[in-house]
Amino acid sequence: MIFREVEDPDLIAKARRGDVEAYNLLVSRWEKRVFNYLLRLVSNREDAMDVSQEVFLKAYQSLPKLDDPARFSGWLFRIAHNEAFSLLRRRRPETELAGEPRPPELGPRMQPMELSLTVETALNRLSADQREAVLLKVYQGFKFDEMAEILECPVSTVKSRLYTALDLLKVTLAPMQKEILRGES
Amino acid sequence: MSCASFESNPNSKPDWKAYVLGELAPDASRQAEAHLAACSICHEEVATLRLTVDTLSTLREEEVPRRIAFVSDKVFEPRWWQRVFTPTFAAGALIAAAILVHGAVRPGQAQVEAAVTEAVSQVEARHRLEMQVLSDLVEQRDKQVANMYLSNAALVR
Repeated sequence: MIFREVEDPDLIAKARRGDVEAYNLLVSRWEKRVFNYLLRLVSNREDAMDVSQEVFLKAYQSLPKLDDPARFSGWLFRIAHNEAFSLLRRRRPETELAGEPRPPELGPRMQPMELSLTVETALNRLSADQREAVLLKVYQGFKFDEMAEILECPVSTVKSRLYTALDLLKVTLAPMQKEILRGES
Repeated sequence: MSCASFESNPNSKPDWKAYVLGELAPDASRQAEAHLAACSICHEEVATLRLTVDTLSTLREEEVPRRIAFVSDKVFEPRWWQRVFTPTFAAGALIAAAILVHGAVRPGQAQVEAAVTEAVSQVEARHRLEMQVLSDLVEQRDKQVANMYLSNAALVR
């Protein structure tokens, strides 16, 4: 007998018929990706967790409206995008007062944790729109046209945000990149 | 320093960011690679972009602090009769039953009229009897008074 993993569209069909277990399986497949996307976007674990739960609840309630189950991932991230930016809009004054985070000092040999923290800091220095473009492309692997659907904007806008972000990151991460190259040589 | 190959027509320069991000069409990607093999300036530009993307990938993926799940435990699911017998359903059922019982046992119009006639005749008969008793008592008392007068008259005489 050939074991075939249940595909997302099958789970979606079952969930639409009220099978909550099927939906929970779908959630378990996507929760880590959605949580990490939200975590990098809102920069707070508790907020990211709360928004993640809200995203999956809204997705469950809106499943009958999903036209093409094959495009579930883009549809799900679109809900996540809306929820995240709704939160960011609500807390904007607080964020503006928080000040800019400082990157950790670069040592002779950076540890993986320090590398990760430096990247996180560099991402946080981008605007929310630029950061989101990087998150969707580099970490979530969406294509430009899929990103345009998620963000509800033209592909040209997606590219503009992403390319500006990459230029900024190239400058911000340059000292770290030299460190990595020195470590490799 | 920029590549001189595209100075006359900057629009023909490959979109190196799209190339590094895997967004170029296969044909455009092949052309870009052919140029990269011959141009150290563009090669360096692409190498820097790749390094930036690779550096970004060092960001650690976080575990979800707690599982997201929706209640589907059979223990918590209502049984079929619990779904049916909601308070609203029970109230509706009670009213329906009352209507059915009332319809089944309701007497006919003729029976009602007969019962009313019977009740009225009983009340009238009772009334007549009471009037007769009162009339007899009055008559009896009149006789007693008359006798009393006659006795008194005999004594006076």
